[in-house]
Amino acid sequence: MIRRVAAGLLFAAAVTGAAYARARLAALEAPQAGSKELLYLPNGKYLKAASLGQAPVAADLVYLWAIQYYSDYARQDRFRYIEHVFGNVIPELDPRFIDPYWLGALILTTEAQDLDGGLRLLDLGAEKNPKEWVLPFLAGWECDHAKEYDRAAAYFDRAARIPDAPAALVRLVAGMRARGGNLREAIAKWNEVLHDPRGDDASRAIAERQVRTLTVRADLQELDAAVVSFRERRGTAPRRLDDLVHAGLLSRVPRDPDGQPYRYDPATGRVSSDASRVLGS
Amino acid sequence: MRGILAVALNTFREAIRDRVLYLILAVALVVVAGSRFVAMLTVGSEVKIVKDLGLAAVSIFGLLIAVFVGVSLVSKEIERRTVYTLLAQPVARWQFIAGKYAGLLMVLGANVLVVGGAVLAAVALLGEGAAALVPAIALIFVELAVVAAFAVLFSSFTNPILAAVGTVAVYVAGHLSWSFDLLRKRIAPGAGRVLCDVLHAVLPNLDRLDVKAEAVHGVAIPSGTLAAAAAYGAFYALAVLVLACVVFERREFA
Repeated sequence: MIRRVAAGLLFAAAVTGAAYARARLAALEAPQAGSKELLYLPNGKYLKAASLGQAPVAADLVYLWAIQYYSDYARQDRFRYIEHVFGNVIPELDPRFIDPYWLGALILTTEAQDLDGGLRLLDLGAEKNPKEWVLPFLAGWECDHAKEYDRAAAYFDRAARIPDAPAALVRLVAGMRARGGNLREAIAKWNEVLHDPRGDDASRAIAERQVRTLTVRADLQELDAAVVSFRERRGTAPRRLDDLVHAGLLSRVPRDPDGQPYRYDPATGRVSSDASRVLGS
Repeated sequence: MRGILAVALNTFREAIRDRVLYLILAVALVVVAGSRFVAMLTVGSEVKIVKDLGLAAVSIFGLLIAVFVGVSLVSKEIERRTVYTLLAQPVARWQFIAGKYAGLLMVLGANVLVVGGAVLAAVALLGEGAAALVPAIALIFVELAVVAAFAVLFSSFTNPILAAVGTVAVYVAGHLSWSFDLLRKRIAPGAGRVLCDVLHAVLPNLDRLDVKAEAVHGVAIPSGTLAAAAAYGAFYALAVLVLACVVFERREFA
């Protein structure tokens, strides 16, 4: 009986001691919560060799762990090794695993405010998966959010050129060109959409409206710029738009998409168009 | 042929009575079923994780069976001295080894069918096509057949512990055989390079039998590649088995 009681007490003491020591260890580790776990994460090449034919599942496990790790906002210095995890370890283990590229890029661009780092991950993914249009597509949106419209257009253009990419991607290229101020390039892209035999009626209608609107915007920009140059040279606004051609500032006076001349007010030097007609309403 | 079949069926019956086998099988099935819950922790890729974990379960637990069952197949008969009774029957020594190996293949085949079938069912339940995984599962079986041949070879001349160490070492080396090719490029010509060449040529290149990643990502694997990989594994296993028969033929029993 005494032996049993003694054994029970010893067991209870051991369990209590283990629980206390564990809690103490956790308390001691807490202030160091940072990138300690990542210090020993090896290069993906070595991890792949060590996985002995189980590289895809090793990639899954690192990815699952990384999701939990980067979901902890209390961690200090949490972005330091993010490119190592999402751009080296996981891609070396399973280069076709698409999700880590975009998730890593999302964390970098949205939380770490590191657009170039995010784009490096998406570029790496696109390099290893040249048939996946979604990676340059996402890179395009990241650039759009950062208001880098020319880079966005270049990424959307790259995505649109990949076989099996949705035809609508060309519309995004055109939209980004327009946002970036490259109106003539945007018009050229919208014309591609307009004359694409694979396109539907809705896309064609959108493209037609965009071509009309952007053509007017581009023409008005060029005419305004020419009027400003004329005024700088002559000290006065031109009396007619034809004067801009005679002054060598324009090769010809453009007409709006309906073939009508743009309106010009010599008193103010302002060129305008009928907006309602342009919008097609 | 009848002798091989008799030994094989006997080996199969004996193995399926072993509780360890059921334990391994049960854990494998739990892993496959649990993969659905593990996949809940991810962002996207749920089906990929179910597929990866499932195929890893087929492979890893198959390896455990090949090692734990395979390494004691012959040595257990010698230890129990039942080998004398068996060899007194009209069964040649090579038939005994071939029968043992065939019985082990039956056990591995049953394991691959059960666990592999569970993986295919789990993937199908998620609404995904599972047919692309079949070639990967088939090549896992071929890989296990190669490992099992080594287990039988080691079992024919040494004790189970050494046989298990040897079989696992071959499995590890088989997945790292590319490193010998890499090493030979970095060392000066001479004996070292020759040794690397020999090891690279002689050790099984188990990576050649691994198409799990391609299957999971839906990358088309040419049928010629699959056939060549299966043939490589089958011929390699046959060569090891012949070696095991030769070793066992020359062995003297006290």
